[in-house]
Amino acid sequence: MKLVIPGDILSDDVKRAGEGTYVASGKVYASIYGILDQKELRVIPLSGKYMPYTGDTVIGKVVDIIFSNWIVDINSPYEALLHISEHPERIDPCDMDRCLEIGDLIIARVKDVDATMRVELTLEKFRPLRSGRVIEISHTRIPRVIGRGGSMINLLKKELDCSIFVGQNGRIWINGKEDDIDLAIQTLLKIEREAHTPGLTDRIRELIERSKKRG
Amino acid sequence: MSDKPKKLIEKGKRLDGRKVDELRPIKMEAGVLKRADGSCYMELGGNKVIAAVYGPRAVHPRHLQEATQVIIRYRYDMASFSVEDRKRPGPDRRSVEISKVSREAIEPSIIKEYFPRSTIDIFVEILQADAGTRTVGINAASVALADAGIPMRGLVSSCAVGKVDGQIVLDLTGEEDNYGEADMPIAMTQDGKITLLQMDGHLTKEEFALAIELAKQGCKAIYEVQRNALVAKYKGGSYV
Amino acid sequence: MSDDIIAEIRRDYIYNLAKKGERVDGRAFDEYRQIEVETRLIDRAEGSAKVKIGNTQVLVGIKIQPGEPFPDTPDQGAIITNVELAPLASPSFEPGPPDESATELARVVDRGVRESGAIDLAKLCIEKGENIWMVFIDVYVLDHDGNLMDASALGAIAALLNAELPNERYELGKDAPLPIDDLPVAVTAAEINGEIMLDPSLDEELIASTQLTVITSKDGSLAGMQKSGVGMLTFDQIHHIIDIASKKAKEIREKYLETS
Repeated sequence: MKLVIPGDILSDDVKRAGEGTYVASGKVYASIYGILDQKELRVIPLSGKYMPYTGDTVIGKVVDIIFSNWIVDINSPYEALLHISEHPERIDPCDMDRCLEIGDLIIARVKDVDATMRVELTLEKFRPLRSGRVIEISHTRIPRVIGRGGSMINLLKKELDCSIFVGQNGRIWINGKEDDIDLAIQTLLKIEREAHTPGLTDRIRELIERSKKRG
Repeated sequence: MSDKPKKLIEKGKRLDGRKVDELRPIKMEAGVLKRADGSCYMELGGNKVIAAVYGPRAVHPRHLQEATQVIIRYRYDMASFSVEDRKRPGPDRRSVEISKVSREAIEPSIIKEYFPRSTIDIFVEILQADAGTRTVGINAASVALADAGIPMRGLVSSCAVGKVDGQIVLDLTGEEDNYGEADMPIAMTQDGKITLLQMDGHLTKEEFALAIELAKQGCKAIYEVQRNALVAKYKGGSYV
Repeated sequence: MSDDIIAEIRRDYIYNLAKKGERVDGRAFDEYRQIEVETRLIDRAEGSAKVKIGNTQVLVGIKIQPGEPFPDTPDQGAIITNVELAPLASPSFEPGPPDESATELARVVDRGVRESGAIDLAKLCIEKGENIWMVFIDVYVLDHDGNLMDASALGAIAALLNAELPNERYELGKDAPLPIDDLPVAVTAAEINGEIMLDPSLDEELIASTQLTVITSKDGSLAGMQKSGVGMLTFDQIHHIIDIASKKAKEIREKYLETS
């Protein structure tokens, strides 16, 4: 693992320039502070805000309802819009809050992001998350929560007796028994804190086993 | 302030023992604040400065936002106890000007197109002032931006050069600034493009050329410190 | 904005833990976060202290300069306290003159120092009716992770403790320590879903219904109090807070103020 900072020269092969890089006068440079992925020639960020991409699944929170849109906070500099026409049935704009009201948490998919970062969402089920709990961690730690080939998230789901949904915007929804949820949150916050340390999966397994014995 | 010393440079040595091309001792640490998206603390001689970055985030008031790029706001502020006589808190003409030129020194390094309609806010607080505060602020701000994960073409490094007792010197002290012949704060990108240039005093064109060369050396040395601060944060525990 | 959203998302988690007698960071209800006090780091100031409580950080500088006395106290020094919620400390702090919260903070810190008689103001008279020492306490909040009240108050007294009267600069003789008579310590507790928690972190503060700050003097008597926030407290809760706060204040005073 190699740490790079903005302005570091990464390669002469401009065709390979990936995320977190830029090209100038025939060379590829790092544009962000992070870890170099030599294979893909991209820089994996250590910090920064969540930027929505088309196709991402996110956990959002309805913060306003105006002009036939639900305005949704997605833990990003940009608010997202969920248009009334996304609803399978025809509803009156005045009745929108009967469907989803301000404060509701939803699991949504990013339908489109335009050049000015106007973000549109789509929903499969027009139901807010009523049970379970949502926590928020840095979105840069989400790949670690999922793990290589889903190894970490599968471990959590299996050991914790919880359903867990991971939003790419850093919000995670957990449902199950109260005590199991508390342990799941404790575990996830540990993963966030220690994301870049070796042997993390083992330590997480250990933490879960210890807590279960105590409980 | 005491009276002017007879000589500011004697036998190639300055009053604090430095050579003409030497920087004062530097300390720098990245990621010193928890709430800020990025932060950096820097000492240069008696200067103690902290910089914090927030953003990109939504712009309020809305009419300030730009459709195709992020806006950059920079606030340089001096703590009331940072100087000999207590300074009234809040902005004055000096800090407003410094905020403007500092922002302009930093802004060219930021890749702004990635974040339309949003803002990046940079806050620099001078906790103790000891000549050259704006250059220290710019150095810390650049590291804080990187720490915040902001896409940049590279870091910006800054230092002051000037003329004292007829000689071109690097990194002026308060005394040298007061009684010297010229003071010139400079900032530049990694590839040597100038982003801040101010001068007051008197220099010949030849002296100016010499001063620029010296500033390049100074900025190069500071760049290494900036880089080390970012590497140290990664190795030092915040991420490990 | 984002503060509120995180708070709401975390509310259930904090409530749930509280029912079991637990807190987010694993502390007991009457447990304080780790405190660090560093003094004399600003040479330009006559006294200074940086206080960390968990991730909360404040820097306090003391400037002392001669000035005219107030007409009603012609032979006493003056204390002027100011708090700057520097915008680098929180995404919700805006540049500009002190707002309601900053002013409240400043006034509570000021009351603690004043009412406990921490500074012997009579000794700060240079020439009766003409010239006195003005003591400026400037608090800069650098990182806001909750309980700014206690951090600011502790920073103020720690900075005053190492402050010097700059006699030499004004040709009034030799520099001398600022005369300090008492060591007021503020301790804050928050009410969350019926439970009382000492030293609330920001997460806790945002969902707390109210907070009570208790300032005690060296002899254990009360030197100031401030309830802050719209919620309500019962008499029992108030007595309980005064109890645990004065106990904690004594510990803090012994550990961080009486050693230097």
